[in-house]
Parts: sequence; C-alpha cells; structure tokens
Amino acid sequence: MKSAKDPAWRFLAPSFLFVALFSLYPIIDSLRLSLYRMILTLPWLGQKFVGWDNYQDLFSDPVAYQSLLTSMTFVALTTPIEVLLGLGMALVLNESFGGRGWLRAVVLVPWAIPTVVASQMWRFIFNDRYGLFNFVLFGDATDRYWAPLAEPGLALMSIMVADVWKTSSFAALIVLAGLQGIPRELYEAASIDGAGAWQKFRHITLPLLKPALLLALLFRTIDALKVFDLVFVMTQGGPADTTNVLQFYGYKKSFAEGMIGYGSTIAVAVFLLSLILSLLYIRLLGARLLAKEQPA
Amino acid sequence: MVLSVKTSLNVLAAILWCFLIVPEAVGQTQLRFVTWRSEAAAVWQELIAGFEARNPGVKVVLEVGPHSSTEFHDLVTQKLRNRDPEMDVFFMDVIWPGEFAAAGWALPLDEYFSVPQQKEFLKAPIAANRYDGRIFGVPLFVDAGMLYFRKDLLAKYKLAPPRTWPELVDHAKQVLAQERDPYLTGYSAQFKQYEGLICNMMEFVMSNGAALWDEQALKSTIASSRAKEAVRFVRDQIIRTISHRGVLAYQEPESLALFIQGKALFHRNWPYAWEVANDPERSKVAGHVGMMPLPSFPGHKSVATLGGWQLGISRFSRHPRLAWQFVEYMTSREAQKQIALATGRGPARADLYRDAELLAKHPHFGARYDTFVLAEPRPRTPVYLPLSNIMQRYFSSAIAIPDSNIDQLARVADRDMDRVLDLLRERPRP
Repeated sequence: MKSAKDPAWRFLAPSFLFVALFSLYPIIDSLRLSLYRMILTLPWLGQKFVGWDNYQDLFSDPVAYQSLLTSMTFVALTTPIEVLLGLGMALVLNESFGGRGWLRAVVLVPWAIPTVVASQMWRFIFNDRYGLFNFVLFGDATDRYWAPLAEPGLALMSIMVADVWKTSSFAALIVLAGLQGIPRELYEAASIDGAGAWQKFRHITLPLLKPALLLALLFRTIDALKVFDLVFVMTQGGPADTTNVLQFYGYKKSFAEGMIGYGSTIAVAVFLLSLILSLLYIRLLGARLLAKEQPA
Repeated sequence: MVLSVKTSLNVLAAILWCFLIVPEAVGQTQLRFVTWRSEAAAVWQELIAGFEARNPGVKVVLEVGPHSSTEFHDLVTQKLRNRDPEMDVFFMDVIWPGEFAAAGWALPLDEYFSVPQQKEFLKAPIAANRYDGRIFGVPLFVDAGMLYFRKDLLAKYKLAPPRTWPELVDHAKQVLAQERDPYLTGYSAQFKQYEGLICNMMEFVMSNGAALWDEQALKSTIASSRAKEAVRFVRDQIIRTISHRGVLAYQEPESLALFIQGKALFHRNWPYAWEVANDPERSKVAGHVGMMPLPSFPGHKSVATLGGWQLGISRFSRHPRLAWQFVEYMTSREAQKQIALATGRGPARADLYRDAELLAKHPHFGARYDTFVLAEPRPRTPVYLPLSNIMQRYFSSAIAIPDSNIDQLARVADRDMDRVLDLLRERPRP
C-alpha cells in the first residue's frame, strides 16, 4: 500500500476528477433519476420516488423489447461485418506499394465525415426517386425502383449499410496498428521453414492479431449499441417503428416527451448492456494480455 | 513536439473564451430571439432593423435553429429546462403552448395581450395559444392542410376536383391508368413516422367524423370504428392503390418535390407550397396547379389540421417587457403583412385576408380564409408529445405494413394513450 503522500496520487488526481465529473456523476445521477417519476411537462406531479417501478414498466414495455431486439440485430450484424472488412482493408494497407500513404488517408475519409452529414448523404442515396441506389441497381427501369427507407423490412438494413460504410475504416485502423506490431522476423523465419502465404496468415498473423481484433470488436459493439445519429437523421425510428433502436427510444422519452425518470431507466439499461458486453470482451482480451505480462 | 509555454497559454485562453459569456456592451441591451431560418430572411432582417431603430440601445440577436419542428423543440426546451436567461423570445409550434404553459416555461402574456387585442386574430390559433384561461403566445402565421392538384391532368380526362376521398382515389385511378407513366403517383403527402404523419392522419380520421382523443373526458378515441375505417382507407386505397410506397418515407420537402416535378396528381401540403408550385423557376407545373380544401369522407365535413408558428416569451428572460415590445412589433399588422407578402404563408390577423395589396399579390388568400378559420388545432395538452409518439407508431405500423392488424394495433395505441392521459387526472384543480 502506498501512502497518500506519494506524488503519483497528485498526478492522478486531475484525471480522476475529470472522470468523476464527466462520467461517474452522470451515471450515478441517471441511476438516481431512474428511481423517480419525473415528467417535465407535468410539474405538479413533482419528483416522486417510485423505487423499481420504472424498471418494472421497462420489463413489461413491448416497445422497449422491440427496441432491444432492433438494437441487438444491429449490433449482431454490423460489428462482425465491420471487423472483417476492416481486417481486409488493414491487410491491404499493410503491404508496401506505391501510393500506400495516400490510400491509407482515403480509407479514413468515411470515418472522418461527421455522422450527421454521412446520414443525410445516405438518406439521399436511398431516396426512392432520385437516389443513386436505385439508379445503380435498376437504371431507367423506374417501375422497379425500391423505397428502402419506406419499407419496414428494408429500413434497418439500409441504416446498417450506412453504418458499415462509415465505420469499417475505424476497425481497419485498429487492426492495422495490430498488424504493425507483429515482428517481421517471424514471417522471415516462417518463409525459411517453407510456410506459404495462407499458413503465415493462419499461424502468425491471426493469433497475434487477436487482441487487436477483439479490441476492434469491443469498440464497434459498444458504438453500435449506442447508435443514434443515423436513425435520427435517416428514419426517426420509422417506418412502423422498425428502426427505433434503444438509444433513440430513450432519447424520445427523455428529450421529446420530458419523461426524465423513464428515459433515465432506458439509459441505465443501455449502460448495463454495454457494461456486460465490455466485461465479456475484456475478460477475453485481458486474459491474453495478462498472460503475456507474467514474468517468465 | 513539445508545445511552447506561450502556445499552450494561447490555447488555454482560447478554450476559456468559449466558456465566457461575452459581456454586453455598456448601455446596450441584448434581446435573444431563437427561431428557424425563414424563407424570407431578408424581410426578417429588415423588420428587426426597424425594431432596433425604434429602440436605441437594443440589439436583437437572432439564434437560428433547425427547421424541423421536432429538432427545434429539442433546442428550445433544452434552454428552457436549463432556465437559460439568455433566451428572451422564441418561436413556438402550434402544438407546444400547452406543454410550455404547464411546465412553467412560457410567460403568461395576459397583462400585455388583452382579450380585445386577441379578437383581431383568427380564432383557431388564439385557442391553440390559450391554456387554463391564460394566453401564452402570439400567433405570427398560420398553416392549414390543403389539397393541391394538377388542373391540366384533371381537365384532360374531364374530371372535377374531388370533394370526397373515395372520389379522389377514383380520379387518381382513372388518370394513372390512362397516363401510363410509371413515375406518376396519385397522392403525394407526408406519411413518414414523424409529427407530420399525425397532421395527415388526423385529417383522414376527423373528416370521417372521428377524433384522436376526447379532451374533456381524457379518453382516447383512436380505436373507434370510424377512426379505424379512415386508417384502413389510407392503407388500402391510398398507399396500396394510388401512391407508390416511397411516400411512407416522405416529409414535406420530398412530397412537394415530386409534385413540382409533375410526378404527382394530388398533393397535400401547407400553404407555402402554393408559392413554390407556381414559381416557374422551381416548378415544372407552374400555372397548372389548383388548390382547394381537403376532401372528406361522404357525409362528413372536410378537416384541415391547423399548423403555424407563434412567438412566446421565456419566463426566465431578464427583459420581459422589452421582449413583449418585440413580440408586439413582430406580430403587428404591418410586420405580418410584410411576411405574408414575401412568403405566402397565411397571416394570423383576420383583417389581413381583406387587405387589397395582399390579395392582389396572393389572390388565393381570399379563398383560403375559410380553411384557416375552420382549421382544427391538434388537441391541447401538456402531454402532447407522448401521445404523438404513440400515435405515430400506430399510424405508421397500420399503413406501412400491407396486412397490418389494424384492430389489434389500435387497441394497443388506445390503451397506451389512456395511460398517458390518466397522468392528467392527478392534477390538483386550481
């Protein structure tokens, strides 16, 4: 145990304060608010302590279940695709060829565009009359044009396409960093032993890349669980509520409807979900990292 | 690279600046007006300059927010719930006064805005601004749902403008069958899941003699057989038969774009569409557009949803009296006339509909007067937004899913709405 006089404590204090103020306090306050009934537009109801009522409501709220399912579908489909595409891009970008620096910058463009702008762009692309999507698919056969954002069966998929386009390069960035940490000598040694490209990939690249892949999965999962802006701009939760992801539902409750208590309950649920998923990933990740750090 | 001390200090100073409120110049009062960007921004600037000239030492700061009602609501309520004293005057959609009044955010204006003064305005928007016997906003312009149609296409097939919804569908079927243009759609309106869906569906439901909910009994009436009949009509006759499915993702701009491209026979929109549709620069159908009240179901009266924008004053404003002077000025006869002349939006003052100059520029104002006087406000309540979200979910599911179980969906919406309306019963009687 180190004493409080240890200078380390003083160096850590600012970061701790920052985290406490901007992360800990909001989380704790959301937890507190989720135990109250508080509706901004009905001030005469006051701020009434209702215990676990909001949570009971949440568990019996079919809209919340539907939102959870929508969010989970979104996470389950987008994250693996994004990480796989990211891996592919990273493998290409890790090779040396002319214009590599340039290509690396270009690949990052979708990720660098503000999401709201990208969402607006995709909304235009998916427009049923002038959208690029229909033109590419059907050309002049306008009678066959689709309206992806108007179809309950297609709207969520359209948003997923936009998300994959936008964030695969972020996954690529993480994987690329992982690739660059793999020592060249291993490949040279493998070549001397007569290993082919596939064998090198399978037995050197992939195992050593696992931490980076898990990290990319972790980041993407948490981000996908919190997807909001794409839905906000592209569909507002419709049609037929099919794109009403959890985070958007919580936003509507808290900010549009002024139901602060119930909205906080949804926020806490999203927080717990990401926490559980993060812990799972960190267990997988941490076990490997810790194992490596053990002194021989 | 290590930043030099000087650079770091500069950066720090810049960051601090962002958090500092710029002190008001000595002897100058700032009035902050939160609004969205008007189509006639130049007229607004002129009016504001006029106000500043009359009130030396006053500077009006325009804060321009998003155009969408829902997003603008987020911005204004964010400021109000934080009791931001910087915001003095704000723009208010016609559905908000009840909410803002109940939450204690909008300043009651009775001491400034007397009943005789209120009488100079159209009745419907004044009613929408009253809550619990007090008034919370001054209407600037009003909107009402209107039916636009292609005069040339109807004439080509010798069809009269439709009076009823079944007639409209029938006309559309005939024209679509004979025009054989895969681009052409029968009815272009706002069926995306958002506030505009409520406006559109309310017109169908109420023009079938039904209502969304009962304001007095605090009971939903959305599952009544007439209301369901209207919803079923939209699903089967409008969406499935004469429109293309794209309308299920349309807000006002997309639906209007289709109409002015000449690709829609009928179009439902607010009055601003008239100016756009008849502007040869922007519209391919300029001169071929007719406008009339929306149809109704046989045996019932036509219903137009009342829209429109008001000026409200924040209860947290530091200069309520000055804010009132600004509101009074912006909603004066002269200002409303300027705005109406430039935008074609219907003024909220009744006598402007008989103003010769205005009628000369916009002859349709004369014909439109009835629609504005009769336009139905969406029911006033502080829980409007929760109710709206339930109805948006219901209407969108009912019409976007071709074989939706409307009875079942309506039952769920009805129950959910009653639960929200029950919250109002706990209110202590004043």
